[in-house]
Amino acid sequence: MITEPLARELDELASLLRLSTVEVHTHGTGAGSGIIWNDKGLIVTNAHVARTERATVVLSDGRAFDGVVSAHDPRRDLATIAIQPAGIALPAATIGHPTDLRTGDVVLALGHPLGIAGALAFGVVHAIETRRGAPRWIRADIRLAPGNSGGPLADARGRVVGVNTLIAGGLGVAVPTTTVLRFLADVEARRAKSGNRAA
Amino acid sequence: MAGPSTSGGVLESLSNDLAGAVERAGQSVVAINARRRIPASGVHWRPGIIVAAHHTIQREEEITVSLADGSTVAATLAGRDPTTDLAVLKADQAKVPVASFADGSGVRVGALVLALGRPGSAVTASLGVISTVGGEWRTWHGGNIDRFVRLDISIYDGFSGGPLVDASGRVLGLNTSGLSRGAALAIPVATVNRVVDQLVKSGRVARGYLGLGMQAVRLPTALAERLSLPNDIGLMVVSAEPGGPGDRAGILIGDVLVAVGDTAVADPGELLGFLGGDQIGKTVTTRIIRAGE
Repeated sequence: MITEPLARELDELASLLRLSTVEVHTHGTGAGSGIIWNDKGLIVTNAHVARTERATVVLSDGRAFDGVVSAHDPRRDLATIAIQPAGIALPAATIGHPTDLRTGDVVLALGHPLGIAGALAFGVVHAIETRRGAPRWIRADIRLAPGNSGGPLADARGRVVGVNTLIAGGLGVAVPTTTVLRFLADVEARRAKSGNRAA
Repeated sequence: MAGPSTSGGVLESLSNDLAGAVERAGQSVVAINARRRIPASGVHWRPGIIVAAHHTIQREEEITVSLADGSTVAATLAGRDPTTDLAVLKADQAKVPVASFADGSGVRVGALVLALGRPGSAVTASLGVISTVGGEWRTWHGGNIDRFVRLDISIYDGFSGGPLVDASGRVLGLNTSGLSRGAALAIPVATVNRVVDQLVKSGRVARGYLGLGMQAVRLPTALAERLSLPNDIGLMVVSAEPGGPGDRAGILIGDVLVAVGDTAVADPGELLGFLGGDQIGKTVTTRIIRAGE
């Protein structure tokens, strides 16, 4: 029987992903999701989730932090929120390799669909849309809903490969983490240029 | 905190199996450029023979087929059978592998299956299970399908005409959303083979023909009882092709057909099902009601 170890693994992976997935609240809009990118308080989410200058970030254990939307890129639909975890090391997500994903690979999503906290979704990669050889969008045969936005799409080992961003034609569409890394590098480069090195 | 699961887990094995199945089976999945907007999917079924869903082939000329090896070759329509929603194309220059087939025993309720497609250059996949397996059935256009196979799987662009494959990438059937409103069905391999044989040989699936247009009508209960009919519905003849088989047999507009051979017919689909290829050229006895008798 492989169903028993399968269920156990899914449970473990869901718990793991839940730790590094946050709720993002802004004024006037419902909750979205976010990914704890590092233990120093950098949260990655969608630009359409973090539309305001400040956002409240709620961890899986219920602790809430006031955050500052520190970068916002509507073109890539990505944003960062900085929170001050005050001495505690945050449970950061493990980032995977979207370039290794194949059509048919199992993917998991964690988020807060329609306000339901910490919900797991299971699916497979439907197609990977590439541009100049690099993944541009990950299309997944997975059931997502509003509230999953900004949350992680992970591979079968729980490594985050994408940021769930929209639902198109019934498919979940995620921005690959390779794009997130480029976005963060661009933000860093702009900061360095302007002489402001604060995170 | 704990790192991600690296225990060489079951989920990772499943993921590798599924991606492997997509890679293998995807070799024989083709994109058919025969409609506007997006290409339709098809399967390289036999060398040079591609099977697709009839309802996705909107153009009969200048058809091309894009293959897994990146090439695009010319194809001609060998024929179509709207009753089973199948179409067959010939593409002699197709050099990609043909599909490998599972035996019918894999078609079981609960079986984990992938629906593949190629609505463009890349193969697409969705995961689901077989939700119903039934016996032989007739489509609403009168086509006979060996088994009723309903899927619990999401229908995306390119679903129809793509293969249903098992976790090893072997083909269990051809997917279509065109035979049942909104539901995903698979046409079993045996049915596809039968239709392919006929379409390749003669370009059409030959069927019995009466040359009559009919509509179901409810008969008075007293009449049905008096004539000991099995049900109180018959097929009223509303048109008769001049010189057609029905016309030559003396059937008139207004006659109500209640049985062909020994089979009672209460809707046009039942009659179509009766008029399969085995009835061609044969004389059939019909039971009709004319002027209440």
